[in-house]
Amino acid sequence: MEEVAEIEQRMERARRSFDELRAEMARVIVGHEELIEQVFIALVCGGHCLLEGVPGLGKTLMVRSLGEILSLSFSRIQFTPDLMPADITGTNVLTDDPSGRKIFEFQRGPVFAHILLADEINRATPKTQSALLEAMQEQSVTVGGKVHRLENPFMVLATQNPIEMEGTYPLPEAQVDRFFFKLLLQYPSRQELARIADLTTAAAPAALHEIVDAAGILQMRQWVRDVPLAELVKDYAVRLVLGTHPQRGSSDEALKVAQKFVLYGSSPRGLQSLILAAKARSLLAGRPNVSFEDIRIMLPPSLRHRLILNLEADAEGVSAEKIINEVLEQVPEVP
Amino acid sequence: MNPEAEILRKKLSELFNWERRKRNEQILADMFFYALLGAVLALPFHPLLPPAISRYLIPILVFLLLAPVFFIRRRWRLEDTARTIVRVDKTLRLDERTITAWELLQRNETRAAARWVLKEAGEKLATFDPRSLLRRNWSWQARLALPFLVVWLGLVWLGVGLQLESAVEFSTPKALAQKLREFSRDLQDKAKTEGLQESLRMGRELEQLAQKSIEAKADDEKLKNELAAMKKKVETTGQSADQTWSGAGSRQDLRDLKAELEAARDILNMPAAKGTEELGKQWLDQLATLPQLKRQFDLQNQKGGDLGHNDLKSFLDKLEKQATGELDRRTLLEAQQFLDQLMKEGQKDRGESDVQMAGQAKEDLPEEGEKTNNRSNLPGKEPGKKAEGESPLPNFQAGAAAHIKGLLGEGNSRNLELKGKPSAAKSEVSQDEVIASYRRQAEAELNTERVPEGLRETIKNYFLSLGIGNAPNEP
Repeated sequence: MEEVAEIEQRMERARRSFDELRAEMARVIVGHEELIEQVFIALVCGGHCLLEGVPGLGKTLMVRSLGEILSLSFSRIQFTPDLMPADITGTNVLTDDPSGRKIFEFQRGPVFAHILLADEINRATPKTQSALLEAMQEQSVTVGGKVHRLENPFMVLATQNPIEMEGTYPLPEAQVDRFFFKLLLQYPSRQELARIADLTTAAAPAALHEIVDAAGILQMRQWVRDVPLAELVKDYAVRLVLGTHPQRGSSDEALKVAQKFVLYGSSPRGLQSLILAAKARSLLAGRPNVSFEDIRIMLPPSLRHRLILNLEADAEGVSAEKIINEVLEQVPEVP
Repeated sequence: MNPEAEILRKKLSELFNWERRKRNEQILADMFFYALLGAVLALPFHPLLPPAISRYLIPILVFLLLAPVFFIRRRWRLEDTARTIVRVDKTLRLDERTITAWELLQRNETRAAARWVLKEAGEKLATFDPRSLLRRNWSWQARLALPFLVVWLGLVWLGVGLQLESAVEFSTPKALAQKLREFSRDLQDKAKTEGLQESLRMGRELEQLAQKSIEAKADDEKLKNELAAMKKKVETTGQSADQTWSGAGSRQDLRDLKAELEAARDILNMPAAKGTEELGKQWLDQLATLPQLKRQFDLQNQKGGDLGHNDLKSFLDKLEKQATGELDRRTLLEAQQFLDQLMKEGQKDRGESDVQMAGQAKEDLPEEGEKTNNRSNLPGKEPGKKAEGESPLPNFQAGAAAHIKGLLGEGNSRNLELKGKPSAAKSEVSQDEVIASYRRQAEAELNTERVPEGLRETIKNYFLSLGIGNAPNEP
């Protein structure tokens, strides 16, 4: 039987790992502390992230650095309209075996990495997108009738450029819903820009140290699920999710803002990611249980991509972010 | 059992007990406030409640009525427990450790992670003192309860509700005082008109008494005591008034006599009447037109022709003084009877009947041709009709038979209650007074009929002549 002391050590190890990771990332990435935390949370929860930001904010650098620190293999795919599914998953290639016979050998695609950065996923065709999304969901690819398991842990960080939307293939809502988080990259501040200049133009980039390996990440995934969650806190999360739904008949928590601007509210996946993320956050903070604060902090990244807004929201310029903030204000922690 | 869990259970138990106690105290304080509020609002309606319910019991009754409602609606629930624990977490910044630990205790979780939560929560709450951390926070009702108690006690002490009770219970004395005031004013008016000094003085005193009673909102017993004292005074004054009048006659006779005396003085003052012989001749001529005066002359066996100017004058003065004294005495007697009747009002004795109020002078003189209500059940005949075989007035028998009782419900009926002057071992009513009352009633009845003004005197004299002829005891 596990002892409390072991649990304490475990929690301490997780917290320390995360603190070291943040410190290590700060050596190459300026700012984005919240983003780094959320990406790590998504990783330990076994989820994938959708990153949205203008080019040049350091997405690729961040993901590559994360891979190095976590001793995880990293690959990057630049999605273009002519990208084929096989370019992602890999394909059977005719080759010679050692005896000289011609055989088909499966050549792995870039998806066979621990961390995959799928740049501008909305530029590829839906067919190509689905190949990646299937891999995300199943943790495997099927080529030539044969199933190939992906690495574990496996995480996809897909990016979208909010500026160049013309000629793109926006991900359907059902596909977007499969992402654990949708994270927004903000433009760096003045001080951050100055710091970026110092880091990237004055000296060679520093070498990163390994903090946690894949086994450690997998262990953390298990620890996350062991974090106790009070019924009251869980009820709070449920009421928040239901608060995004416009239909009064479906819940008593329907709010006016949702009734006015939301076409469809969050799916149950939103609640799953919310609770898992809150647990992960409490674990990384060294706390033994989930708090209301964890739920509140994790709500926006968990739900902002799961709300389908109506035309009125579009006309009035009301974003999902605004609606989520309104929900947070109106739903009390204790009913 | 996990020692941390034990500590936690103990601390939580202490916390819940403290919160429950605060809740009950709050409920009691709120109920106390609403009980007092109910008592204040019920003060004006206290007269409607049974007499057995004292004003001081009303807050207790309201309190008992509210008790089930308050204690059931605000009883301690599971949600209150959860809220209390959350409040502790917020106050101590425990990030929901306590609430999580409490739920794990409820589920008897034994996982290491759960035990770690219990351990952490136990350590954080080890030095937790609910009483100092979660102090009482009284509601506005509880804060206002004591000031409201002072307000209520003040209202009760000042008798706020009593004043309304007084309005219900004391309507009789207030009406009595008003009746007395009206009567006294009428008495004064009448006394001024007829020159009745004693009656005027008594009228003023009665008015003062009535006004004082109205202003002071005196109670029933106090007013009746004062009326009794005033009645004795009226009686004494009446007895001390000039009682030398020996002639009979109604009140109207006396007024007529006074008017004729005035006319007679005018005759005496005429320059042509200065000589005795000339005076005597003119005097006799004029006397024929003054029946009342002539009758007085006859009664006193005086011959106007034999009296000189000064003698006549002094005779007239003496007669006027006697007539005025008699009027005064009768007026005071009526006032005395009125006070008697006033003192008896409110006793609800249906055997008693109202006394004809002497102060209402307008009853004696109705308007020309105006018919007023018939206010008496006269034992005699209706004016204007002469029945055959008219019988004389019955002999008066003192006693119960003379006590004329009215029957309530048979229209406006007023009768004179005659009571003898109290004397040791004997009390009687004089025949003169009875006859006078009969005549008064007859005159009143006459005055209510539609009789032309010019014939009124004639008809009156006619009936008087009948009375003079048939009255056996008339001097």
